[in-house]
Amino acid sequence: MNIFKIAFRSLQFRLLGTTLTVLSMALGVMMVVSVLSVYGLVSESFRSNSSFGFNLLTGARGGGLQLTLNSVYYLSRPIENIPYEYYLAFQNADVREPQLKNSLAYRALELEQQTAWAELQSQSLPGMVGWNALARGLVDDAWSRRQLETMKLEKAGLFSYYVDYAIPILLGDYFEVPSADRSFRVCATNRDFFDKLVLDIDSDEHFAFEEGGRAFDNNDLNVGYFGAILGAMAAKQSGLKVGDQIQVTHGVPGEGSSHLHEQYFEITGILKTTGTPNDRVVFVNLEGFYLINDHIKPIEDDSMLKGVSEDEENPKPPTDEDDEDIFADGLDDQVSVAPFGDKLSDRDGIELPMRTSDETLSRYALPIEQREITALLIRTRREGDEYGTGAMALQPMLDGGKLESSLNWSSFRPINSQTTAQCVFPVQQVETLFSFFVDPARWVLLGLTILICVVSGLSILVGIYNSMSQRHHEIAVMRALGARRSQVMSIMLAEAILLGVAGGLVGWVAGHGLNAVLGPMVENQTGVPVSFWDFAPPEPVFSGLAPLFGDSSFANYLVKFRVSPELLLIPGLVLLAIVVGVYPAVSAYRTDVAKSLGK
Amino acid sequence: MLRITNLKKSFVQPDGQRTPILDVPAFELAAGEQSVLIGPSGCGKTTLLHIIAGIVRVDSGSVKLDNIELTKYSEAARDRIRADKLGYVFQTFNLLPAFSALENVLLGMTFASGRHSGSRARELLVRVGLGHRLSSRPSTLSVGEQQRVAVARALANRPKLLLADEPTANVDPKNQQQVIDLIRNTCREEGVALMIVTHSMEVANQFERVDRLEELNRVVAELRETA
Repeated sequence: MNIFKIAFRSLQFRLLGTTLTVLSMALGVMMVVSVLSVYGLVSESFRSNSSFGFNLLTGARGGGLQLTLNSVYYLSRPIENIPYEYYLAFQNADVREPQLKNSLAYRALELEQQTAWAELQSQSLPGMVGWNALARGLVDDAWSRRQLETMKLEKAGLFSYYVDYAIPILLGDYFEVPSADRSFRVCATNRDFFDKLVLDIDSDEHFAFEEGGRAFDNNDLNVGYFGAILGAMAAKQSGLKVGDQIQVTHGVPGEGSSHLHEQYFEITGILKTTGTPNDRVVFVNLEGFYLINDHIKPIEDDSMLKGVSEDEENPKPPTDEDDEDIFADGLDDQVSVAPFGDKLSDRDGIELPMRTSDETLSRYALPIEQREITALLIRTRREGDEYGTGAMALQPMLDGGKLESSLNWSSFRPINSQTTAQCVFPVQQVETLFSFFVDPARWVLLGLTILICVVSGLSILVGIYNSMSQRHHEIAVMRALGARRSQVMSIMLAEAILLGVAGGLVGWVAGHGLNAVLGPMVENQTGVPVSFWDFAPPEPVFSGLAPLFGDSSFANYLVKFRVSPELLLIPGLVLLAIVVGVYPAVSAYRTDVAKSLGK
Repeated sequence: MLRITNLKKSFVQPDGQRTPILDVPAFELAAGEQSVLIGPSGCGKTTLLHIIAGIVRVDSGSVKLDNIELTKYSEAARDRIRADKLGYVFQTFNLLPAFSALENVLLGMTFASGRHSGSRARELLVRVGLGHRLSSRPSTLSVGEQQRVAVARALANRPKLLLADEPTANVDPKNQQQVIDLIRNTCREEGVALMIVTHSMEVANQFERVDRLEELNRVVAELRETA
């Protein structure tokens, strides 16, 4: 029999005491393992996702961290929005021009031109065809110049040169899944989100869709403006599939003003699991999102809206006949093209069709002055900028208020609109989060771990020590049978080690079992999947010891060496068991054989 | 095989005074010889056994076991010699309750320097009539069975000398003879010298050699003369 078998038999004989000692240790270890792995996985996920395809984030002025939590992790309370034109400031002329034309300012210019025309027509000289044509040409020229000067129609956005892409997102709504008793954040965005955004910059990995799915077009042939894409977890928990239609909730579910929008969105695709917060998001087309009644910002100067609404009484939902009417009217008639905001503002309870012609849809597109976005996900130009100096130059320009200057082209502004924006480095914000909140929490966790280890150690000590009085006789018998002092000491240490290993293993299994049980809840809250087999991520746990070894290669090795702290738990407990086992072991060592045999 | 010369042992009392316990000028036991040691309570029988076993150090004198001078060795070395050369049967058997009968025998072998043989342990238990109780814990064995396990354990390492400290004291008269027969016969078969300490004259009378400690031990003899 070896020493461990002797120790095991001894522990087995005191089954109740041994079980209680192991359980008390296991409870502590379970807590440490569970907290270590969940904390590690969640914080690792936070860190890795902070480099998520974009390096700058622009949103409403306020807390940079809240902007980051909202826009990168879809966490925290919804924040204020910024004008849609900020998005246009990053686009080239091709993108800007059609969008700028979809504005109240453009509409005002159009009306101005109509008025000038009408005036000219009333003053036209009969029979002077050439003169009249010249006058009309002059009016057109003047109007075109005003268009170009005021709206800068032919120019690229102020910051378009600096960026590879800038993707708008608008948050604030939720998608409720009553069967799963949870809700998912709704992120309204455009197709660029799925085409351009990369999941991992190093590998240039993009979003991928489950079979049969695709990204919606900004003006989709099949679903118009009302396309939706589900993140993997949102799809899994809701059980929805491509082709299903969903409604989203306005505001935070359960709060007073929240209510279900009547507009339906049709699912065009389901994303493959990314392991990022995007898995628990429902994406909808930004254009369609704007068309929902509650998302239309009231305008300070609503003369343009009133002016048009007088033209059309009793607004009705568009139908296929409407499409035909529009075609019949002739789209080249510019006056009939833009009766937009008025109809929408009275459109409570009206559902827009998903499948209709582009023309019908464009007729309902919201003027850009009434639009808002929550944030812009900006990837600065990478070509010739390996060190990211473009981002370093762009950030102070944006943060310093240069974006506001891009708003002066239109005199139509939403009431109480937030026009100041900030620009942050999301990585920096996450690092700040870690250094101020998460890293201190790590120290608390470390303290807790040490405390639990000490309690575990005491459990071992108490467990063995309580049995020592009756053990002296056993030890004396072993000594009489020829056991040396060192051997009985080793047996006691082996008992402590076995208790440590048993407590550690039971606690480890229980900790991961707890993770498996709590996994869905953690996933719901953080988007990070946690299962039984998920270990705490490797960390440079010995880097703190490196200074002790100066500049040696071993010190470098210590800094670079990464291991899951969980894997150190059982060796650590064995070490602890040896330390606390020393006292009973020494007591065994000192046992007076002659005296104890007589007892 | 065992030679004791001018052995002296005293104990220090709580008041600091030394009280002599043993003063044995000479004692010898040949290989395979069987002897019974008798004497009144407190005359130092168990202490003498402990000294022979190397558990207790002598104040002076010589104790040679199988030509090894025990008094010259460290405690750890004496422990090893004890494991290799001696078997010990206790009055209260002292089987370890956490271990089965077989494991108790194997435990005796664990601390010896030779190879541990499970078959030797089984064979011994079969020889003492416990082949069917190998995995039984001591608490489930009768007193007689426990004593037989103790005998098997003491002989496991093929010792040169078996020391038995009142092995029949806790055994009923019916089993007493069986235990004595078992110890004597097994020692004879194994060629092991035997030294039994007993109070029982019934047991002592069965031995050809009877040593009276009150005669061997000058401390007791002097006390008697003084009295």
